[in-house]
Amino acid sequence: MATVKAKRKAKATQKKAQGNNKASKLVAGVFKRETLKVNGVDTVMYVGGSGDPLVFFHGAGTATGIEFAAPWTKKFKVYLPFHPGFGESGDGEFNCIDDYVLHYLDMFDQLKLDKVNLVGLSMGGWIASTFATQNSHRLNKLVLVAPAGLKVEKHPNQDIFKLKPEEFPLYLAHNLDTFLKFLPAPDTPAFFDFIVGNYRETTSWARLAWERAYDLNLPKWLHRISVPTLLLYGDKDRIVPWQQSKEWAKLIPDAKVQIIKNAGHIVLDEKPEAVTKIMDFLSK
Amino acid sequence: MRWQDDLQFYAFHFMPYLDKPQGEDHDTDSFWVDYSNKHFDPAKGTQLYQRYLSELALADELGFDAICVNEHHNTIYSLMPACTLTAAALIPMTKKAKIGVFGVPVNLVNPNRLAEEYAMLDVMSGGRLEIAMPLGTGMEYWSNTVNPTTARARFREAVDVMVQAWTQPGPTSFEGEFFNYKYLNTWPLPVQKPHPKISFVGTGSPETIEMAAQRGWGYSSVFVPREVQIKTFKMMREMSAKYGNEMTPDKALINTIIYVAETDEQAEKEAVHHLEHFFTVLARTTPRYLNPPGYVSLDQFKIRAASANAQHGGFNWEAIKKDWRVAVGSPQTVAEKIATWCEEAQSSRVITWLHMGDMPHWKVVKNMTMFAEEVMPQLRALRSQKASPKKLTVKTGGKKNGRKKAVSGKRAKARAA
Repeated sequence: MATVKAKRKAKATQKKAQGNNKASKLVAGVFKRETLKVNGVDTVMYVGGSGDPLVFFHGAGTATGIEFAAPWTKKFKVYLPFHPGFGESGDGEFNCIDDYVLHYLDMFDQLKLDKVNLVGLSMGGWIASTFATQNSHRLNKLVLVAPAGLKVEKHPNQDIFKLKPEEFPLYLAHNLDTFLKFLPAPDTPAFFDFIVGNYRETTSWARLAWERAYDLNLPKWLHRISVPTLLLYGDKDRIVPWQQSKEWAKLIPDAKVQIIKNAGHIVLDEKPEAVTKIMDFLSK
Repeated sequence: MRWQDDLQFYAFHFMPYLDKPQGEDHDTDSFWVDYSNKHFDPAKGTQLYQRYLSELALADELGFDAICVNEHHNTIYSLMPACTLTAAALIPMTKKAKIGVFGVPVNLVNPNRLAEEYAMLDVMSGGRLEIAMPLGTGMEYWSNTVNPTTARARFREAVDVMVQAWTQPGPTSFEGEFFNYKYLNTWPLPVQKPHPKISFVGTGSPETIEMAAQRGWGYSSVFVPREVQIKTFKMMREMSAKYGNEMTPDKALINTIIYVAETDEQAEKEAVHHLEHFFTVLARTTPRYLNPPGYVSLDQFKIRAASANAQHGGFNWEAIKKDWRVAVGSPQTVAEKIATWCEEAQSSRVITWLHMGDMPHWKVVKNMTMFAEEVMPQLRALRSQKASPKKLTVKTGGKKNGRKKAVSGKRAKARAA
């Protein structure tokens, strides 16, 4: 855990860290960092590639960065926005999934994105599916990667608030190293920053999901998703079990399911083939 | 008013569950939130309630100005998940002392219901109720149904509801973000007007201090170093003035850990291992439980993350003596320390923790009795101007030989009589 020493160091290097964000370092040359003021919120996004637009909604934590998305830029213009209250974006009053849905409608309007391919992971999948129930006309295709949002009694989501910090990586990844490589070394200023950033993101997530990480009304409206939809899971996901895919596929009219072997919740970081499968689905 | 002229002593009880957890369960990283209730023995519980209530009743007989209870959930730290019940039980057992309910986290319950319960206690006791309102520790939010990201906004609104219920003739209505009342019309109403005296309890967050300053209420600072508390009170004094309220010494409540014995050595020998039990067992919990998401601001979180778990599971006696108000010693030692603390904090309300950790009944009785008979009179004597030349030395510096000038217990007693 963080120490007083770490805190002191953190202060000293704070200035340095500000102009040196992780995402830009990882994908220099592929993505460009852009900031857009959306209804008063500084929304930071990484944009790269060319072609039809592909927008990715990340999950409730951003520690794993954006490296995984680089292959998509070969065929699409890829937008990787940080949700308000997460990563490099600013804060706003976001208390429910609809706040995020409307934020992205604002953003798409500002960017003049008429129709997009939308990919959402976990919390991002919850936002994307809700967006799609209301705005299918703004979508070409939809991809939900281990989405939160649905209550499936027999295969419930893991309540991530109940995980101890040391348990967390084991739940996120099937192959632990694929997550640990994103973590700064313990007792460093970077690790202290990570803990603080993580508290901020967990707080933003708790505003939506402290009581439950699903919307009891969602099943009533998933039939309104009128675009081809891909549901993708790792078969070793310990946070959102792949068995939930059956429930989603029953409720979304044009849905197919793809299960990736030997992958956990961060399937996109663990398995490049998952990233490819999504690209194939969207390009067809 | 000077603190010396309004000095009052409050006897506080945590009512912990005393157990000797064995083996694996003793290695738990938290005795809060998820420590299994399979370890609770109701028969032992009955004994403990009877014992603890009798200890607070004794405080009334011994002349303490108030007896205080508070509330926690899912923990062996406190057997009072509903502290208004404890307060109700104490009313017929006591005659003079104020009943301090210090208290229910107002945002964890329906505020109209709490306004009713507090009014009942005030009416049943003939106006002896005093209230302190805590936000509740982080741990309470893992054990109750309130979203911790809404804790502070909900707290603020619940206080508004209660004040409205007590001060505006009903029926009124209330439309808030969290609470809505078509007819707010509390029966009964408190005896004390406009309502019993109220303080906030906190760990120094500026928002809470500002609320206290704005309303002209008291503030009780807990689980933060003494130096920080003094700064807190200073900030509150300045803020109060800004709001046109005077922060009198009764609005600065200080919490003290007290053990009195014949000599300093004897006191340490009798008490220290019970204090260790308090810190290492009863207060033991994890940073995750202490800081549920959104419970503290990011700035506060940084401070907490840097100091980690020191006060909830560790025991560094030297550090505790420095950071906390701990007086373990002879009546003189204890009296001097209290006078120093009152002076530096400009406080006239001394909340004494006289039962610590797994302290047995006989020590609690001895401690309380010696405190009441040999410490309180010395300090009460400061009240009288006439007594001032020969009275207890109030030191603000660290002069060692100042102790010799302290008045003897007997002399203080004679004067008090």
